[in-house]
Amino acid sequence: MSSTLLPEERANDSHKRSKSAQSNRYGFFPGCVAKESCKELFNSTMLLADKLGIELIELTAASCCGASVVNDTNRDIGRVLNARTYAQAEALGLDDIITICSTCTGHMRLANKELLESEERMTQANAILGKFGAKYNGGVMVRHLLWMLIDDIGLDNLKSMVVRPLNGLKVAPFYGCHIIRPEKVNGWESARNPHSLEDLVIALGGEAVDYAGKTRCCGFHIQLEKEGTAANMVGQNMRMAKEKGAEAVLTPCPLCHLALDGYQEDSASRWGRTDLPVFHLPQLVAYALGVPAEKLGLNKHLIDPRGIMVERELIA
Amino acid sequence: MANIKLDIFRFDEAVDTVPHRDVVAVDIPETTTVLDALEVAKSEVDGSISFRRSCRSAICGSCSMNINGVTGLACKTPCNSVMDESGTIKIDPMPNFQPMRDLVVHMDPFWDKYTRLKPYLQPADKDSDHQTERRVSPDDMKKLVDVANCVMCATCYALCPVVSVDPSFAGPASIAYAYRFIEDVRDSKKEERLAQINEDYLWLCAHCYACSYCPKHVDPHDRIIDVKRATVNSRVMIKERGPQHALVVNRTIKKTGMLAETEVIQGTIGRFNIKGLLAVAPLGLRMLSKGKMPPPFLKPIPKVDEVKTIYDTLEVPVT
Repeated sequence: MSSTLLPEERANDSHKRSKSAQSNRYGFFPGCVAKESCKELFNSTMLLADKLGIELIELTAASCCGASVVNDTNRDIGRVLNARTYAQAEALGLDDIITICSTCTGHMRLANKELLESEERMTQANAILGKFGAKYNGGVMVRHLLWMLIDDIGLDNLKSMVVRPLNGLKVAPFYGCHIIRPEKVNGWESARNPHSLEDLVIALGGEAVDYAGKTRCCGFHIQLEKEGTAANMVGQNMRMAKEKGAEAVLTPCPLCHLALDGYQEDSASRWGRTDLPVFHLPQLVAYALGVPAEKLGLNKHLIDPRGIMVERELIA
Repeated sequence: MANIKLDIFRFDEAVDTVPHRDVVAVDIPETTTVLDALEVAKSEVDGSISFRRSCRSAICGSCSMNINGVTGLACKTPCNSVMDESGTIKIDPMPNFQPMRDLVVHMDPFWDKYTRLKPYLQPADKDSDHQTERRVSPDDMKKLVDVANCVMCATCYALCPVVSVDPSFAGPASIAYAYRFIEDVRDSKKEERLAQINEDYLWLCAHCYACSYCPKHVDPHDRIIDVKRATVNSRVMIKERGPQHALVVNRTIKKTGMLAETEVIQGTIGRFNIKGLLAVAPLGLRMLSKGKMPPPFLKPIPKVDEVKTIYDTLEVPVT
């Protein structure tokens, strides 16, 4: 079981074995939302890292990745902000930054690609970083926790660590655009037919639900532009998942989580009630690996996942 | 030679109330394009199969359709790249359009949005008052070359998830084409064009990159960002939500190093826009009831002055 692309077909860096991976010490970029409205994501990631015996060293002085919005005002700002973050990782001796958000993954990888592919851009970034004594030498790669779990820990290994299998819980994956598209930036697996989340669900003892919505957009980035449109994008995708028999959704992205968990209520008038609980990636993995369910912040979800977990005899 | 089974969506709006499917088998080399396979099916098996085509070489943009769930040009898609083990290829009309007959769709909404742009050069003076040709330097032209490759096949429009739920959105191709004139040094209507494309919901682009599968590599998404940037920098429609959102996100990052969710919501909708704030209040209350609220104020990250230095050096607008 592996991702769709062979290592040599994957985009630039994403298959390299990093020094961080060899020493189990990774740079960790939690992103803004995991520190603000989705703290349960941050907490469950740290609990999962403990279980896996890996060290996630949080880059506490890192800024926002730019969230795909900062470039709307200036061509260079996102790239230079991220160069500053990479310089901090390098200064700590870390060459591998783990993210827990699809948008952080995509935006940070895009910035890194632009820096590594253009001497002019790297020089521009370092000229600014030099003003406060920092420098990025181009030695960092950015990966999502999902990729790290599969490449570094391994699905077979994870499977052997499962102490509480998901009892056939029907889980619909929802990837989040920026972890798969554009392929030239991510390219860790096929953007049109990814199956890493499905592989993971199966390894944890669940049943993966295939549906057309899994690679579509959650509408998060236009919630404040036009709420109704964003809610309809949620409703459309969740309806597709529901019709394929999904009992819950799994996402590697807190922005998708905010959208899917928050807007099913508002989309019900057009798409019917779906009420699918949405798990953050590390919540479900940590649960299966034996982290107590009450530590995972499941009570913070607007659609409470504990109902279906009781029904599936996952929790009492 | 291979026996390829084309599983085709059939529908004639003049007589049918619901669509059905026909499976048409053709013996052709498996490297044949899907378009040529359809041509064989039409000429040898069933003359009533309808689809648009012309150049057969990815220049005219007529033959975009949904092939095994993936929308793209049939003339650019070899059968052996899409058929399953049984040699079957599922062919449907482009999504996001009303089917007219089989694989032919009503293109009107797409063309309407394109026409609204006034997609022709509008120089400051008349051609008759102009003694020489209107010259463009190679550097100025370079910006327009990629987008000029657009063949208006509407693949991006069919792939766009925003269009699928909200037909008021201009869609990727129109915005990319707006860029083509906004950035043309010979044109004189930059501000009018920006205002027009903003009216047509430029800011409804959800950054999903579905349009990155452009068969002509136009990359509409990157052009959409260019048009947003031109909007902010020319301060056209600056008070609207889209530009305000871009500015407040940058403002909070410059101030705290983080995207401060609470301030971004207030700043985008408008602190005194009671109606707008009430519209997001139900979700806010649901989140509050679960103790799931972003903090009202954020403590700046360590060394936030460095972030400020980056913003100031690049002269990024934040208000």
